[in-house]
Amino acid sequence: MATCSSSSFISPSSFNNDPTQLPKTLQKGLLLPIRRSNIPLLHIHSNSHLRKQFQSKCSNGYPLNAVHFQDVPSTEAEAEAEAKETTISITVVGASGDLAKKKIFPALFALFYEDCLPKHFTVFGYARSKLTDEELRNMISRTLTCRIDKRENCSDKMVQFLQRCFYHSGQYGSEENFLELDRKLKEKEAGRLPNRLFYLSIPPNIFVDAVRCASCCASSATGWTRVIVEKPFGRDSESSGELTRCLKQYLTEDQIFRIDHYLGKELVENLSVLRFSNLVFEPLWSRQYIRNVQLIFSEDFGVEGRGGYFDSYGIIRDIMQNHLLQILALFAMETPVSLDAEDIRNEKVKVLRSMRTLQLDDVVVGQYKGHTKGSKTYPSYTDDPTIPNHSLTATFAAAALFIDNARWDGVPFLMKAGKALHNRRAEIRVQFRHVPGNLYKGKFGMDMDEATNELVIRVQPDEAIYLTINNKIPGLGMRLDRSNLNLLYKARYPREIPDAYERLLLDAMAGERRLFIRSDELDAAWALFTPLLKELEEKKIAPELYPYGSRGPVGEHYLAAKYNIRWGDLTSDDS
Amino acid sequence: MALSFPNYSSSSPSNLPSPSSFKHHQRTTPSSILSSQNSFRHRFLKWVSIQSAKNQNLNAVCMQEATIAALPSNETLKKLKDRSLPFAPPEECGNVVGFSTGKEECTVSITVVGASGDLAKKKIFPALFALYYEDCLPKHFTIFGYARSKMTDAELRNMVSKTLTCRIDKRENCSEKMNQFLKRCFYHSGQYDSEEHFVELDQKLKEHEAGRITNRLFYLSIPPNIFIDVVKCAGLSASSSNGWTRVIIEKPFGRDSESSAALTRGLKQYLEEDQIFRIDHYLGKELVENISVLRFSNLLFEPLWSRQYIRNMQFIFSEDFGTEGRGGYGIIRDIMQNHLLQILALFAMETPVSLDAEDIRNEKVKVLRSMRPLQLENVVIGQYRSHTKNGVTYAGYVDDKMVPKDSLTPTFAAAALFIDNARWDGVPFLMKAGKALHTRRAEIRVQFRHVPGSLYKKSFGKDLDQATNELVIRVQPDEAIYLKINNKVPGLGMRLDRSDLYLHYAARYSKEIPDAYERLLLDAIQGERRLFIRSDELDAAWKLFTPLLKELEEKKITPELYPFGSRGPVRAHYLAEKYNVQWGDLSTEHVHG
Repeated sequence: MATCSSSSFISPSSFNNDPTQLPKTLQKGLLLPIRRSNIPLLHIHSNSHLRKQFQSKCSNGYPLNAVHFQDVPSTEAEAEAEAKETTISITVVGASGDLAKKKIFPALFALFYEDCLPKHFTVFGYARSKLTDEELRNMISRTLTCRIDKRENCSDKMVQFLQRCFYHSGQYGSEENFLELDRKLKEKEAGRLPNRLFYLSIPPNIFVDAVRCASCCASSATGWTRVIVEKPFGRDSESSGELTRCLKQYLTEDQIFRIDHYLGKELVENLSVLRFSNLVFEPLWSRQYIRNVQLIFSEDFGVEGRGGYFDSYGIIRDIMQNHLLQILALFAMETPVSLDAEDIRNEKVKVLRSMRTLQLDDVVVGQYKGHTKGSKTYPSYTDDPTIPNHSLTATFAAAALFIDNARWDGVPFLMKAGKALHNRRAEIRVQFRHVPGNLYKGKFGMDMDEATNELVIRVQPDEAIYLTINNKIPGLGMRLDRSNLNLLYKARYPREIPDAYERLLLDAMAGERRLFIRSDELDAAWALFTPLLKELEEKKIAPELYPYGSRGPVGEHYLAAKYNIRWGDLTSDDS
Repeated sequence: MALSFPNYSSSSPSNLPSPSSFKHHQRTTPSSILSSQNSFRHRFLKWVSIQSAKNQNLNAVCMQEATIAALPSNETLKKLKDRSLPFAPPEECGNVVGFSTGKEECTVSITVVGASGDLAKKKIFPALFALYYEDCLPKHFTIFGYARSKMTDAELRNMVSKTLTCRIDKRENCSEKMNQFLKRCFYHSGQYDSEEHFVELDQKLKEHEAGRITNRLFYLSIPPNIFIDVVKCAGLSASSSNGWTRVIIEKPFGRDSESSAALTRGLKQYLEEDQIFRIDHYLGKELVENISVLRFSNLLFEPLWSRQYIRNMQFIFSEDFGTEGRGGYGIIRDIMQNHLLQILALFAMETPVSLDAEDIRNEKVKVLRSMRPLQLENVVIGQYRSHTKNGVTYAGYVDDKMVPKDSLTPTFAAAALFIDNARWDGVPFLMKAGKALHTRRAEIRVQFRHVPGSLYKKSFGKDLDQATNELVIRVQPDEAIYLKINNKVPGLGMRLDRSDLYLHYAARYSKEIPDAYERLLLDAIQGERRLFIRSDELDAAWKLFTPLLKELEEKKITPELYPFGSRGPVRAHYLAEKYNVQWGDLSTEHVHG
């Protein structure tokens, strides 16, 4: 069980320290690979070389992440590796579910397509429904796609991938059924050194059952066993603590990979790069220059008949307490000692623990109501058949949070998340302070707030980073306007950006924990939100209604105004 | 820039000085400089007072309050949505035409001395027309060409008309406007040193001014050796009796400290400092104008603007053609000592008290005076030689008939300069200027320091210099501002590269960017001196370069030869290397859409 010392299947030997092996561009310094660069280099090294990487046994056991390859040169390991081949078995528990179909299997295929999986691997679907392997393959095949920019051998590759996919039907709480799975897995693993990854794509009430069975009956005897779990991780401090305790009966902390798929998004990943590899942002990143930070998430659709889960959780638990808070922590944390997972997560926990618990008067909740536009009528939240008629569940929430540390004291961090709004978007907005003693004050009219700089990181859709600056409008005379220093991803990077799940699955396989939530992080996150959530429920706070497809409840503006802030997403950006 | 006139309250005209004659103002304080414009400004009161009540600030930048009131509220909202600040008036100088509604009508007479010259034809007349076309000239104005050649008014008009163009983006009434403009153009033939001829000019001007309050602007587009003659004649015989008289002069302002000072002394026999408008047309360029806006209206740059964060600055100017018969002055005097040094001063100056011309120029002088005079070992000079490419032979500098065969005049120079003040101590300011190079470009590059204790150090390979941030302001061609940042290459894994946060003017601003001369002429007419060189600035600039220039000449330093169309002498790199700098213009930039 605790075999995580062989935390990675990729051998360090693949990174000879010989700089002459680096591609030309890299030597010129135009491409800047970094330590956790096993993946990109896969494209650079030949395929045969790649194979060797996977065949070889891993030797860098500690620390438990993949960031360290380059440092450990080894020819020994390579030789040793030839002796025993490693394989990986990925079991998707809840294989017939939506997430599995839409995200997990396609992500696994994408990794296979990009040669990011080891030479030998097995994918198992596990669920209660009776399916044959063929039926599973048939089901999966409908959702597989190849990269838009790289279409060669697409159907070939799909066939090869599907041949590695199998199905086992069983109850989630049955040790016996997991024993059967274990036998089947062993068959496929055929004496190789097996590593096993379980992806729990099942309702949270059966997490513990499945973990118990998998751990006692189907974990790897000689390799590692890891379990990926998806939110919800409880619904408050107590239930989350309980879940963690139960999981830890069967798993050690380093086997548990709590996914927050927002952490796998390209621009969230880039946040640390922006902050820590660019000097220009360094002096700006504090209360001295930043007036407020806004984390905005909106969807342009409602629950649409799938509200059962949502209604018992609400938008605060569904989006804020995890996705937005995680981004906030990455944004606000102090510089970590290194890029190692534990160092980064230590800093995140510190930020979370420096935060003030949410206050009811710093929160606005809303719920969407029906709206008729033209000939089309959009149903309200409570019209949905899966939602109780008197539900007070928030489908929108805005909140002001504060970090009581030296760097951020007094800087409001505003969050906003909502369903059935006018657009779909996720972005981070950093509003800078006014220019002290501004020489151009006379130019800005009454509203100096319009004239401050802003850094926007648009996570989705249409990834971009831009910096709003005041600029002189060209021409005679002196008029200023706001223009953007813009980096639009699709213009700069022609490659398709991989789905968050690909990154996270790959990281889980490589034992890279940076983007997964550690249990103390989770505790700290719940500690911030639990009192508020309880108060909302106890006082039966009625959400402010807002029309489907609108910009959300007006209350959010009063909340922002209370802290002298204007939401940055109200103006249409020309970028 | 003074599109906006100072809007002081019309209820207090008593603070206006008597507009009698420019020569009687002996004070040199900023207020008196401004007051000499007041006679002109006075005429603007009528239109200004309609729109504005407050604002004592005499700076040009202050018109916004006036215009914001004029915007209907829904318009304001729309602007807000458009992300352009709501104060933006719809037209830049559309109001100016309306100023003559008062009884005392005002007129401006612009005399281009040296009207048959190249600069006049290519730049001055077209700029004047552009101003007229944009309604930036007063309702009544007169343009006189003055030169030695015998010409009729019609011949001048014919000559001028060949170079006039309308804005690309605004073509209405173009030929109509041209005709109207040409009707205001006249010619007077005369010697440059003849007071008599200038008296004749004065008579003609008076005829056209027809009793209005007269302001007169002389643009000296003539060789420097006759500057003083003309100024004497114009000052004595053709200056305005009841308005202002101003003289615009173009470089060269001498060729070293002594000759420059002599010129200034000569000019000041006949003119006050505030009548002299020394043009450095680089200061009229859009992105140079924007430097102060970037620096002082964006909080982002404020903490970065010092030795703590900036590793070096580079001022790069290159032309892809040779001197073509117009050499002799040398690239250091021609480009570095004025254009590049002026940009440097704008970049490095402390925050001025206000945007007033005197405040800004005070700060520029301070920076220049804090600079170390150039040392020979911090300078590289070069001269282009002939080069044959694809069967085409490009002539070397000394192949030019106008150039002595043994000329040592540099056509390329690179230099490292230092500002010994608290903000910039130790930061190299590199300049590079050259002719007959492989590109035509003018840009400013700010290279930032390394990230201290960078977490991503290992991902940058050996060359950390490639991984620093850089702010680039491309003055020409294809104006742009971009900030190079390190960014994660999207995809699985973690690779970093340099991407740009990019503002491409052509994409962002659809309007044609006006020529530098338009801006400068307008400013001169309006008495806005911010973009003109004050004599103490000029002195300070020469002081930095004169010892070096003398040494180069005395020691007969031979320039390094470089082929026409190349990247210039190799020694420029050694100079940069000496200060641990890499020229930023060598890496291929990303192509932006």
